[in-house]
Amino acid sequence: MDEREIVDEFVAESCDHLANIESQLLAIEANGATIDVELVNTVFRAVHSIKGTAGFLQLNTIQDLSHEMETVLNLIRNRELVPNSGITDVLLRAADTLRSLVENVDHSSEVDVSHHVAELQAIAAGQLPAAPAAPTTTQPEQTLDLVQTFVDEAASEPAPAPEQTQAQATSEPANDTADRSSVVVKTTGHTPAVEANIRVSVRVLDHLMNLAGELVLSRNQLLQTVGTKNSGNLDSISARLNQVTSEIQEAVMQTRLQVVETVFSKFPRVVRDLCNTLGKQCDLVVEGEDVELDKSIIEAIGDPLTHLIRNAVDHGLESPEERIASGKSPKGKILLKAFHQAGKVHMVVRDDGAGIDVAKLKQKAIANGIITAEQAHEMGERESLRLIFRPGFSTANELTNISGRGVGMDVVRTNIERLGGTVDVDSHVGQGTAVNLTLPLTLAIIPSLIVRCGSGRFAIPQASISELVRVRAAERAEKLQRVNGAEVLRLRGNLLPLVRLSSALSLKMAILSGAVDQPETTTNTNIIVVESGHLRYGLIVDALHDSEEIVVKPMGKNMKDCRCFAGATILGDGQVALILDVAGLATQASLSIHEDKERSESADAAAATADDSQAMLLFTNAPTEQFAVPMGLISRLERIRADQIDAVGGQEVLQYRGASLTLMSLENHLRALPRPEQQRLYVIVFRVGTREIGLIVPQLTDIRSVSTDIDTSTFREPGVTGSVVIDGRVTRLLDLLELTRSAHAEWFYETSLSASHEATTPMSPHLGSSDEPSKQKTILLAEDSSFFRKQLTGFLEADGYRVLACEDGQVAWDVLCHPGKPCDLIVTDLEMPNLDGFGLTERVRKTPSICHLPIIAVTSLASDEDVEHGRRVGVDEYHVKLDRERLMASVAARLRLAAQEAEADAETTGRTT
Amino acid sequence: MNATLEPTAAIRSGDVEFVTFYVGNLLLGAEICHVEEINRHVDVTPVAFAPDWVLGVVNLRGEVVTVLDLRYVLGLGHTATDANARNVIVNAGGERIGLLVDRIADVVNTSWSEIKTPPANLTDVDRRFLQGVYDLDRELLVVLNIEEVLAGN
Repeated sequence: MDEREIVDEFVAESCDHLANIESQLLAIEANGATIDVELVNTVFRAVHSIKGTAGFLQLNTIQDLSHEMETVLNLIRNRELVPNSGITDVLLRAADTLRSLVENVDHSSEVDVSHHVAELQAIAAGQLPAAPAAPTTTQPEQTLDLVQTFVDEAASEPAPAPEQTQAQATSEPANDTADRSSVVVKTTGHTPAVEANIRVSVRVLDHLMNLAGELVLSRNQLLQTVGTKNSGNLDSISARLNQVTSEIQEAVMQTRLQVVETVFSKFPRVVRDLCNTLGKQCDLVVEGEDVELDKSIIEAIGDPLTHLIRNAVDHGLESPEERIASGKSPKGKILLKAFHQAGKVHMVVRDDGAGIDVAKLKQKAIANGIITAEQAHEMGERESLRLIFRPGFSTANELTNISGRGVGMDVVRTNIERLGGTVDVDSHVGQGTAVNLTLPLTLAIIPSLIVRCGSGRFAIPQASISELVRVRAAERAEKLQRVNGAEVLRLRGNLLPLVRLSSALSLKMAILSGAVDQPETTTNTNIIVVESGHLRYGLIVDALHDSEEIVVKPMGKNMKDCRCFAGATILGDGQVALILDVAGLATQASLSIHEDKERSESADAAAATADDSQAMLLFTNAPTEQFAVPMGLISRLERIRADQIDAVGGQEVLQYRGASLTLMSLENHLRALPRPEQQRLYVIVFRVGTREIGLIVPQLTDIRSVSTDIDTSTFREPGVTGSVVIDGRVTRLLDLLELTRSAHAEWFYETSLSASHEATTPMSPHLGSSDEPSKQKTILLAEDSSFFRKQLTGFLEADGYRVLACEDGQVAWDVLCHPGKPCDLIVTDLEMPNLDGFGLTERVRKTPSICHLPIIAVTSLASDEDVEHGRRVGVDEYHVKLDRERLMASVAARLRLAAQEAEADAETTGRTT
Repeated sequence: MNATLEPTAAIRSGDVEFVTFYVGNLLLGAEICHVEEINRHVDVTPVAFAPDWVLGVVNLRGEVVTVLDLRYVLGLGHTATDANARNVIVNAGGERIGLLVDRIADVVNTSWSEIKTPPANLTDVDRRFLQGVYDLDRELLVVLNIEEVLAGN
């Protein structure tokens, strides 16, 4: 072993010793007078062995410094010295310098450590530094440097070694500029040896070795089989190879996994130092240190996390005085947590500080020209919070040295997204802020969707795909449109900019690969909705292939300017496929953010006039006549044999599950041609009140999202709301309730009476005392689709309500704010331009004068997430649009409830006065 | 550009072997130490927005290798690949790069002293790509300066 190797060994070993010294020193400080001898011993031994080897290698500076540290630690160990924060500060700074010396071992003897030695000797001599004095005088400058370093590095370099930044910056004594520059210069000259190594447990290596053996066996088998031309057991060999390969892949990935503790361990120190500087008090709670992540990701998240932690202390937590004033404990709490979920690693940085004031945030964003006042007005709370991730945004009122300067969260976001992760923020005023990071386990293998364009195949990382949309040839004219020459997709009331992959990748590509931009009249259009940051667009490709886990391969230096591609991969057939970079492609297609904004504005305008759509079941009765029923109203579909239908007294019934189901045939109740004779039939089962009714349907056509731009006059008759043209066929839209009503009027005598009784409530005995009995209830209806607006207005008016119909949430809000138009209940759509149903609900719930109003949301298709969101903001009930009966019942019930509450309130006020 | 390639002909001496190949009518030679292999991977995957002289990428046993259109690099237009076309893989600074050529010829043994400076009237090809010429009696072998070729334009 030559000298160099010995030195390298020393460096690696010392770095191990020093790895935990920070947290250990902090623990010693926290223990105070109750000294944990074993813990102090651990630190003592670490420093002692560094001293020993350094002496042997004649690294005098390191030896001197470690010797003095050892002396102080020895005093603590023998309980001759009680560690306070002043002593810990000195020790911490000495440890930092020691680490930097070890990492730059070749130049260590040139560094002046006399001030550390002097400080340590002073402590050993019994001159204790005043507890908080030392840090506050030296640290402002230090942190300033640290921030600058962080900002610079974050901006320029994706993955600097985090410890290095930390050690480098904090180790510089604030009063010794010459020394500082020398350390910095030398650090860049020699990268610490520890960087290139990784610790792998023997267990994992044994497993790998074992798998390699399996692989060799499989190869031998394969060679034998091929040699003897006996293809019989090829299947089993390939299966075995497949399994062994996957296991090797997994095991190799495991060797690269490291615990996040390596990153998390430095934060207690960061928080402690910052709190000292800022005069705040804070506990850092770290959870999930044992979560494992790929080494490359571990290295890259250090900086973003540091920034988030600093932000939490600096901007998030209030000063102890403020905290006491707002009834909190003077000591703040920051939670740093990592956990696995759904194949990803999640990290949370949560503080219990002041939270983000959305109103202030918006003002600031407007002042900085990031958004317009109009946009701010339209933004929901969540969207507004996300403003902090926009470039050029700083939330602190005045810039501070710690985390201000307007460079911050956007850098965090960029860095995290570069790793294939996402960032989100959640905040409640007075309760605190939480920033959530989602990270992939590894960067080397990413799940991707393989698509075809021309004759080329491309991989799109699943992380950037938000959904797939297939537009049928017949719907193309309706869904794909041009706005100022740019193609857009009409997607749920919004216009999404479209990029044709073939044209984005330019003609050169098309010529080489023989791709021809077909006029596409007969085929479906495949659109991949992709997202990157706040960019969202649709990518038109020729075909979708499989979803595969691909291995990312770098591209040659000739291709470094191809921003459209994030790399290349090799597919199962050996061909190379390029990995698309969603953001780069958008730039190439000159789909700038600016344009994006412009389009979303025009999208809003278009959406205001566009009617939203509704999922409908399409079917034919006679083969030439098509009908549609809203999916939301159907309980279920049954398939029956024609001979299961009994005709009893002119009424068709189905013997079914021990009961009989009343059936209806369209031709008996509508102007419709009779259904053909056939063996098998379908029955659409739906409910009216407590009854189940079946509609006989000979042939189901499709389930489609149907635009509700409906002609309500031509085919109008009881049971038919109107007609719409789908795929060139006139389709009549059925109103099942009305149809049943016209078929079985006798059932409705009771229910309609009770409904109108409850709804109008003029005779209600409950209300007699509290209100003018004759007062008609007013319902505010917010619905952007003119069709639904008309329908719902009709339903409500038929039941005796007065209706204020508004075409979106904003108009509804204006009406609500108008003192002359009081209303008793709100029925609102969820997806609306300008202000959606969630936003409207939120505003209503925050306005004391109207916060008590019952709110019923009507929706085409409510996802669980929507329902949950709605409940959170204060929606009372959900109903499917056109489910007239339930909607009316719940309107009546909610009004009754509100009236009772009002009465109760009136009573209590009456008693107290 | 990179450390592995050796200095130019002027100061070279000793024996040398060239892998020779045709690009159009030109017989070109590349020093054998630069050449890793010659294969038929001419079915390249094109890369949009890559420089003009890049044909695309191929899969070389799990490595994604850039393939350059040597004819285009030399300013002689694009290569039309046929059955004789070959991909000459050269190693440059740790990165493998393929050069697409029309047809492979022999390996030529000679010594550096036999390599002459390119004649002044050889004007088809940009002179910075040329290291020298070697007279094969019937034909003239043009020795490529691989370093310059790989640097592109």
